Amino acid sequence: MIKLEFSAKTNTSNEWKAIISAISTLVEEATFEATVEGVSFRGMDPSHVALIDISWPNSAFEKYSCDSDIKFGVRIDEFSKIIKRAEKSESVEINISEDSMLRVSIGKNKKYKMRLIESSVSDTPLPKITYDSKIALSSTGLDKILGDIEVVSDYLSIKTTSKNVEFSGKGDSGEAIINLEKDTEELEEISVTQESTGTYSLEYLNPIVKAMGGAAGSIICEFSSAKPLRIEFKVTNIGRIHFYLAPRVES
Amino acid sequence: MGVDIKALLLREKTNLESFSSKIIAIDAYNAIYQFLAIIRGPEGLHLTDNRGRVTSHLTGLLHRNVNFLSIGIKPVYVFDGKPPSLKTAEIQRRKLGKKEATIKYEKAKASGDFESARKYAQQTTSMQDTMVEDSKHLLDLFGIPYIQAKADGEATAAHMNKTGKAYAVASQDYDSILFGAKKLVRNFTNSGRRKLPNRNTYVDIEPEIISYQKSLDALGITGEQIIDIGILIGTDFNPDGFDRIGPKTALKMIKEYGKLEDIPKIQEQLEQIDYEQIRKIFLQTDMPDIGKIEFKDTDYSGIVDYLANERSFSQERVQASLNRLKRSLEKRSHTLDQWFN
Repeated sequence: MIKLEFSAKTNTSNEWKAIISAISTLVEEATFEATVEGVSFRGMDPSHVALIDISWPNSAFEKYSCDSDIKFGVRIDEFSKIIKRAEKSESVEINISEDSMLRVSIGKNKKYKMRLIESSVSDTPLPKITYDSKIALSSTGLDKILGDIEVVSDYLSIKTTSKNVEFSGKGDSGEAIINLEKDTEELEEISVTQESTGTYSLEYLNPIVKAMGGAAGSIICEFSSAKPLRIEFKVTNIGRIHFYLAPRVES
Repeated sequence: MGVDIKALLLREKTNLESFSSKIIAIDAYNAIYQFLAIIRGPEGLHLTDNRGRVTSHLTGLLHRNVNFLSIGIKPVYVFDGKPPSLKTAEIQRRKLGKKEATIKYEKAKASGDFESARKYAQQTTSMQDTMVEDSKHLLDLFGIPYIQAKADGEATAAHMNKTGKAYAVASQDYDSILFGAKKLVRNFTNSGRRKLPNRNTYVDIEPEIISYQKSLDALGITGEQIIDIGILIGTDFNPDGFDRIGPKTALKMIKEYGKLEDIPKIQEQLEQIDYEQIRKIFLQTDMPDIGKIEFKDTDYSGIVDYLANERSFSQERVQASLNRLKRSLEKRSHTLDQWFN
């Protein structure tokens, strides 16, 4: 008998699909950490412009057991291919035993074994920022806004006042402005302690918002002038998915 | 030049972009030497300014650094100091080689064989103090830091890598591996298209990365043992190495006997070299710590002024390069690192 070190089961495959598509926008190899409390991931893209911080508590799983803290590294494309074989309604159970293989059981009868890779040791810290502005909107709403801006620009500027938020972009061909007012359907929440303006690269924003569009209901964006943006994606049954993005260098 | 352990190391192809936001310790003499060897006019002569002073190294530094900074790479140039006295023999040998090449160059030129003349001209490449000063001046204008090593530049660069001050060492020579550099990047300052000597074909030179640990693990040897292998093949400190011992034989001997002292066949020759001192140099038991590495803003008009007005560069071309740098910097994002503390 192989002794199980770690085992976690979800009732659907949506959670893993959301997490993998988020991580795949930043890195090719990912190291997860499993403890008694749950599964977590933290990593940055190679240029250190963006960071993803995921915390997935044990209570969110159908079944969860972890004998001792364990780090496991996977190649995201390999892992993704396996998880994609699961239908939406199929359960996913992952196990790690002493032989350094990741076992993935999908639905009633699909069983995969995947080679783990050497996990990277470096611990990624979190940016320490006080956020002056906070807005909430639907993930599809933000996806559309990014699409609107992308027509003319490769970056997004966000400007807040207590009453509205303005998304804008400028490029060689012209500029775009999308204004959302407080207390309207499009803008679920706005709270501003200090009016802020931040500019962020669409090269990083577009892929993550697209990747999370299906899974996330609402999105909370927090930022301060000339400081990183933090986006929280609300996904059912996952504790926390935070995406941090450094501001663009202003010329 | 340098230890010939190429055949033993695991080399992986990579690209410059993967070094974005990372500090790379560049073996400055090695890079400048490459520029001087490669960047030449049609007859194999160096590029010069209107006073006849060589400018090939400045051309190389200008274009390479524009490229590095555009990608977000943070280069730090490490210059050689006074070479350890053990290296005298090797330096003497290089001088002699250059003298011979100069004679061959003159002969080839006189007989109208320009292809050979170009080849020999490259072998005569030597570095003058003024070139080092020029290079440092241009780096200052770029806001790129440089470090003056006490002895070998590669040794200090490897030390920076070991202590986490640099992500990798960039050099063409493999000595950094003997000095214990965690990652060695080759073709860092000369990647791109290159004409092959004596042939009318071009090759793409791609950067490659050598991981110290991966290579040692694959060979199944320790850091001390790769130094012993280096000594058997020949290092800058015992350039002749041992009779009829190449990389493969050296590896076999070390794997069989463990260390130099225990290889029966070589004891007579071993007595003639100060191998313990050579080991000590590579093991770097007493390396001074380098201070803080500081990147400053690029002085664009300073660069144009120096290169165009003082060193006869085309003002338009310098300006075009710098505009390219400015444009890519405008598009860049900050890194999150500054918000971690």
